Amino acid sequence: MHLSRLTLRHFRNLGTQDLELPPEGVAIIGDNAQGKSNLLEAIYYLETFRSFRGARDDQLVAFGEGVFRVTGELVAVDGSEQPAAQVAAAYEKKGKRKKVTVDGVEPERVGDALGRVAAVVFSPADVELVSGGPSVRRRYLDIVLSLSAPGYLHALQEFRKILVRRNAALKDGQPGAVVMAWDHGLVRSGAAVVEARRDWVQSRCRAFDEYYSAVSGGVGARMAYRSSVHLDGARGEQDIAEAYRDALVASSEREQRNGTTVVGPHRDDVVLRLEDEGDDLDLRDYGSGGQRRTAALALRLVEARTIRETRGREPMILLDDVFAELDGGRSERVLGLMEREETGQVVLTAPKEGDIRIRRDALPRWRIADGRVAA
Amino acid sequence: MSVIDQLTGEFARLPGIGPKTALRLVHHLMKGPKDDARRLSRAVMELAERIRPCARCGNFSEHELCEVCANPRRDSGLICVVEEAFDVGAIERAGQYRGVFHVLGGRLSPLDGIGPEELSVAPLLERVRASGGEVREVIIATNASVEGEATAVYLEQQIRPLGPKVSRLARGIPVGSDLEYVDGTTIAEALAGRREM
Ligand SMILES: [Zn+2]
Repeated sequence: MHLSRLTLRHFRNLGTQDLELPPEGVAIIGDNAQGKSNLLEAIYYLETFRSFRGARDDQLVAFGEGVFRVTGELVAVDGSEQPAAQVAAAYEKKGKRKKVTVDGVEPERVGDALGRVAAVVFSPADVELVSGGPSVRRRYLDIVLSLSAPGYLHALQEFRKILVRRNAALKDGQPGAVVMAWDHGLVRSGAAVVEARRDWVQSRCRAFDEYYSAVSGGVGARMAYRSSVHLDGARGEQDIAEAYRDALVASSEREQRNGTTVVGPHRDDVVLRLEDEGDDLDLRDYGSGGQRRTAALALRLVEARTIRETRGREPMILLDDVFAELDGGRSERVLGLMEREETGQVVLTAPKEGDIRIRRDALPRWRIADGRVAA
Repeated sequence: MSVIDQLTGEFARLPGIGPKTALRLVHHLMKGPKDDARRLSRAVMELAERIRPCARCGNFSEHELCEVCANPRRDSGLICVVEEAFDVGAIERAGQYRGVFHVLGGRLSPLDGIGPEELSVAPLLERVRASGGEVREVIIATNASVEGEATAVYLEQQIRPLGPKVSRLARGIPVGSDLEYVDGTTIAEALAGRREM
């Protein structure tokens, strides 16, 4: 399956355009601030219904316009003309209303429409996945798992809903019995979130290691889920729920003092470590720029593999000027890896023709200036 | 402000009625027999003056006690706790329930500053305590929202030490809906709450 057609209406500076994408993908060439990344953002919006750059929906509406709309048509790889699926998203600034449809039908929840495109974005900002705070890595896990693990998004939303209410009760200084009334739901939804995250990190640790060493051209790296709840020996969701309950009891004084819930998936992190000649380094604190970028790439490659395995098809790869900051050796190895592994559609952006490194001759060129694409 | 504008404004404040519908209702009353308008006005007046909360359970009532509490054939050893007085009507319409009610007047909602003090929790506990063991079971029929669930947990903790059995209204597949279209959570809960046949 690949994205065959993209229709844009007032998404950032992209105006009104109707673009046909070749099955192999396309290289988009243009100077900075012409709209290259906006185009990738629009495509990925159809995957998660939010901006991968962290922009709010109202910031995506073109200046002076009230509504943006993005529509994508996906066709099967076998070349049949008939679209296999149509995904559309629109946002109205005034009513703050988002409308998502799949094949013309609005799903009961936006979450039901996630992941239809099966895309992964690689961007220079990804280095934040390694150097940023724990919340950046939690968001990464939450997006990957929402796209790949059935029931994850529901548990996460339930957990968040309960957490804000429990925190409000704590902040309000409500008696312990009232705060505890929220524990049942908090523990149940929180344990489901922790279990899914921990299992994913454990089962993907090896792939992360392999990708890291393939890109770095040498040593490997590890990732581990670090929970604020003691998970040693906790096997399934039941065990985790029990551990979480214990952790809440043990932290009750601290949370009353702080007026907020101090243990749970909202305080967890993923630790990325590098073994270097017997040394065990935390990449966030001690990694070099190159090592952090390599780890970030490895995380995106693991994400792509997860999507490939759970959705049963090659993910669409969106590369946002991604080789600009990698040294020569690393980018050669990433390219090799992508050429070997990713046979899906590739949409990449580059400032100059000479910066196109992947599928050098196979990809048609589009030029973009002031938001307008010229094939 | 003209009388027409005034009444239109009042109608428009009602749930589900926009300004256009409000105006249409006013025109209808103006065109129809004057007695129709008088009858409506009287009914609204009586509603305002005669309906009050039942002194025992909080249900809508025209007297000191509501029809359920005043009925000697209802089982006062069985109390069904609901969030709002409207929920009493929903359960009554099903025609199965023989016990009595208790209306909380809301649910635990810390984001709105609503704790047990703001709800009719103390009167409920007092009812159970004062019955001297006559209350055998309390059925908690709060909504299936996160607030309704937390309220149920809280009430269970408060009531159980007083003696009665505490149960939660079973949740399940809505009657008349295709299993195919029921979401996973509902199915999981229906399975977990299944009964032996
Ligand atoms: Zn009553």
